[in-house]
Amino acid sequence: MTQVNVQYYAIFREQAGASDESVETGATTAGELYAELCDRHNFSLPAAALRAVVNEEFADWDTPISDGDRVVFIPPVAGG
Amino acid sequence: MNRFELSADPLDTGKLKNGLRHARAGGFASFEGWVRNHNEGRDVGRLEYEAFAAVAEKEGTRIVTEAIERFGVTAAHCVHRVGDLRIGDLAVWVGVSAEHRGEAFVACRYIIDQIKARVPIWKKEHYSDGVTGWVNCERVSGPEPPQPALPATTDGLYARQIALKEVGENGQRLLSEARVLVVGAGGLGSPALMYLAAAGVGHIGICEGDTLEASNLHRQVLYRRSQVGQSKAHIAAQQLRELNPDTEITVIDVSLDADNAESLFNQHDLVLDCSDNLKLKFLLNAAALRTSTPVVFASVYQYEGQLHVFDPRTGAPCLRCVWPREPNVAPTCNEAGVLGPVPGVFGSLQAMEALKQLLSLPGRLSGELLMLDLLSFRSTKISASRLADCEICSRTPDQIELPRPGEFEIALDMDLAEVDPGLRNDYVVIDIREQDEVSARPLTTLPHRHIAMSTFSLDAPPIEPDQPYLLCCASGTRSRSLAIELRQRGFAHVYSQTGGVDHLDHGHSRGGD
Repeated sequence: MTQVNVQYYAIFREQAGASDESVETGATTAGELYAELCDRHNFSLPAAALRAVVNEEFADWDTPISDGDRVVFIPPVAGG
Repeated sequence: MNRFELSADPLDTGKLKNGLRHARAGGFASFEGWVRNHNEGRDVGRLEYEAFAAVAEKEGTRIVTEAIERFGVTAAHCVHRVGDLRIGDLAVWVGVSAEHRGEAFVACRYIIDQIKARVPIWKKEHYSDGVTGWVNCERVSGPEPPQPALPATTDGLYARQIALKEVGENGQRLLSEARVLVVGAGGLGSPALMYLAAAGVGHIGICEGDTLEASNLHRQVLYRRSQVGQSKAHIAAQQLRELNPDTEITVIDVSLDADNAESLFNQHDLVLDCSDNLKLKFLLNAAALRTSTPVVFASVYQYEGQLHVFDPRTGAPCLRCVWPREPNVAPTCNEAGVLGPVPGVFGSLQAMEALKQLLSLPGRLSGELLMLDLLSFRSTKISASRLADCEICSRTPDQIELPRPGEFEIALDMDLAEVDPGLRNDYVVIDIREQDEVSARPLTTLPHRHIAMSTFSLDAPPIEPDQPYLLCCASGTRSRSLAIELRQRGFAHVYSQTGGVDHLDHGHSRGGD
């Protein structure tokens, strides 16, 4: 199992009901982690509509995750 | 008619006012200077005005012309009396007509102040004790000292920023020569525009096609309640001209689109994206690449926002590198809600980044996305890299096409009210709002299904391939994005209700009525 810190912005914060959480996961990539969290929090956005960030860098969905990583899922926002 | 005249005869103000009427003018302001019966403690019986006519007319005309150009008013006229005048007589008249009252008032004030300071007219006061004395005409304005001429008030105007060693006189000159286009004069645009004008940016273009709505006022602090219903671009221009008459303002009171974007970008050095529309942001991104113009992007959501600077000249990642697939789901302030200071902070950050760009200050954002949550003050700066296969910035500028709404998109949006009444019953209406939104504002006039977007399965959509559907949400944004997703999955008859539930529920019902 891998322990990562996940931060939520915008609609993810609302749907997760928290702005961050520590997650223990069997996922090995950012994509697997998102799929796991979708099940847990009922996220409504398809993965194609958002970006994953691992340790402050935009990351592909197959980017591996390891213990202590900081992971953020970022939806686009358009308000002004 | 000369814009400035001397008159030996009494003035007909009605006639003068009519001379300034114009179909474009929405307001008129005038100033009248009268002869009063005392000056500096002495009783005055009558006055004689004398002018150095040739110089007075030339200088007066110059002043009125300056006011017209500086404040963008429709027309202006000033007439000054010469000869003998009695108590109560009209000595000087200034009239200004303009689209809006703000510029009419400031132009009127400017003309009378300048006339008194610059035009060679003297008056001879005949005091009641029989003595006479020539006095400078300025005293007509009363015991208060004459207003300093406008150019003089600019002394010290930018002193606090010139004092910064990275700015200095040279930086101030760069700002005065800069041309900045602000796309969107709303919550982000309000502070951005004000700070740019206040800083002395020489030219600002305001691109905004909307009129002011009451629901804008909590965050769009450039505007006043009395202005609801007016063109935002015009009232923003009026406010900025009052804030800084030296800044030249161009009003572009239409939305930016594929037809005008390139020419507008070419007329400016830097663009601020203060829009609330994702499609428009991608259009700006493409126009930036075509014209090599940097764009400062910002977007807000409820209590947080994102800031991204894209300068095509530096090889930085473009908006499409950050969002490789144009996202369909991006709620706007209308449906997600927002607290006013949030766009206030981000619009200010945009002005800050704009000044950093124009002044070449250190620490300019480049290739990074700044995210800031104003509830927790959590901020993250995320590095993006340029995508080698980016469908936009991997092309040469002339290969980049500015996105236009395609036929596919036009056919996607629909207003049930415009559908032939006999055919309305063919559509199954699905309300995709979340449960709390439905409870707060139920859809009552139409039979419909409710499937919240968060529970709508795209892998196994609960709809039939051949059945026409009309999706509706609060404003038409989410329903549109879901309709796109469903069409991409082969459900060809899915439509999105334009304007959302309010539009749908407003004044029509099913069937042939």
